[in-house]
Amino acid sequence: MIKSAVTLLLIFFIQSCSQGLFFGGDIEKNMAEMDKIHGKCNNPYRTFNKAQKKICEDKERAAGADGVIDEPINLTELIENYKNFRDGNFNTTSGGIAINENLWGASLILLDQYPLDIVDSQGGFISTSWITEKDTPNLRCLIKVNVTSKELISSGVNVKLLCQEKELEAWYKDGISYDEEEKRLTLKILDIADKLSTTEKLS
Amino acid sequence: MKKLIIALSAIAAAVGFTTSAHADISVAGSSNVAYLSTSGNTTGGDEELAVGNTVDFSMSTTTSGGIGISSSMSLSLDYDGTATAVDGGNAVTFTTGGSTIVVGDVEISDTIGAVGGVVNGPLDDASDLVSSVASGFLDDDGLGAELTTAMGAASINISFVSNDDSDNFGILNSSVSGANAATSASITMPMGAYSVTIGVADSDSGESSSGASASGTFGGGTATIGYSNQTLIATGNDYLATDGDSEVIGATYVMSMDADTTISVGYQNKKDADSHSSTQTDLSVERAMGGGATVYLDIRNLSGDTSSNADGTAIGFGTSVAF
Repeated sequence: MIKSAVTLLLIFFIQSCSQGLFFGGDIEKNMAEMDKIHGKCNNPYRTFNKAQKKICEDKERAAGADGVIDEPINLTELIENYKNFRDGNFNTTSGGIAINENLWGASLILLDQYPLDIVDSQGGFISTSWITEKDTPNLRCLIKVNVTSKELISSGVNVKLLCQEKELEAWYKDGISYDEEEKRLTLKILDIADKLSTTEKLS
Repeated sequence: MKKLIIALSAIAAAVGFTTSAHADISVAGSSNVAYLSTSGNTTGGDEELAVGNTVDFSMSTTTSGGIGISSSMSLSLDYDGTATAVDGGNAVTFTTGGSTIVVGDVEISDTIGAVGGVVNGPLDDASDLVSSVASGFLDDDGLGAELTTAMGAASINISFVSNDDSDNFGILNSSVSGANAATSASITMPMGAYSVTIGVADSDSGESSSGASASGTFGGGTATIGYSNQTLIATGNDYLATDGDSEVIGATYVMSMDADTTISVGYQNKKDADSHSSTQTDLSVERAMGGGATVYLDIRNLSGDTSSNADGTAIGFGTSVAF
């Protein structure tokens, strides 16, 4: 009883240091280092059930020439896409694209410095190719922008930033949240879209 | 892949799924086909075909305070099984910036340092090679909590099982005989060019263990050596007649030949309180084919004290496909 209580208290005490124990360690960084040694699937500090471990090992082995391990299929996105399709959001309107033209134009302006992999004006979706910097060859990122509204509203555009780290010739999701960066990109698109809208009204 | 997407879309349409705006549900899967030339203790022959499929559904969300919460459940038909099984679903993981906590069915680390196995799942599960040497606790998982956190460059894991007779629902601190508590703690830290892991584990059943492993790059590959000492009890253990210590010593070496080809070798020697000992040697060659497919050749040799007709060499040749 005492042992259980002490252990649980210890766990919750340590957990309260949300940035790591005492010295502010970075668990994600440490995990990435351990992945290099043990492999992600056999890292003793990663938790997998038996089936997940099986899939993880198969994915790790299946990293092709570019070492990319694909993201799992996202059911949420599939369902959203189905709902959009059902609601007719993918249908082209007589006026052209079915999403706000200013948001769409602002997104293109923001991303014009990067090579674009997907530009779907009907679905309002843009994805850049993987972006790498000379100084950080083991890190690459891509930006996805999804314009979802016909109106120029702040919730009418979603930005997603995905980054991967290279480990043992394979690319892995870096596990870092880029909420702030995504928010800044969204605000920038809204800012440009607002200016485009103003210019449109004046002309 | 396309068929899977179409199938999932059809399922979503048929059952009328509704989704939470902030949660993600993802699905991943893999298939395996393997030809196994086993040690021969299977009635009727020593050549087998093993086919298995696994699908995993993961759910995750993030609170406004930045705490990640995730869980998963899987369906699988194991390579050497005959019935589809549901796996997982008995633990929930909470993640913050510096820590990960798993609550539910957790597994303690009772075999830290017991390295040496490198062959893939089908041969690992169905080689018919069975050592008579006891190693590992009789029960190392159950209802409890597990914490993984960082301390500078070191990582710490503390696992606590309150009731090893339950997984997702049960009595904490049960007084029922056999419903034991168990704890393990381990730390992994860099030491120069090497990474060292040290761990201890203890169960109310009377079993305990300690071990260490060290890894580092060597000759273009990654070498790992490990040692584990386990104090085990004979009661309930099919491979042990005398209470006492088991020792496991092992090593692995993994090297990439090119961007797609990996060669791994492993060695493990273990002995127990019955003075049984066995030696296992592994070789695995894997080549990624693109599109999620891999072909592999695995060889495992086991010698020493083994179950009847369960020593020798087993070979596995197959493919795994990740979706």
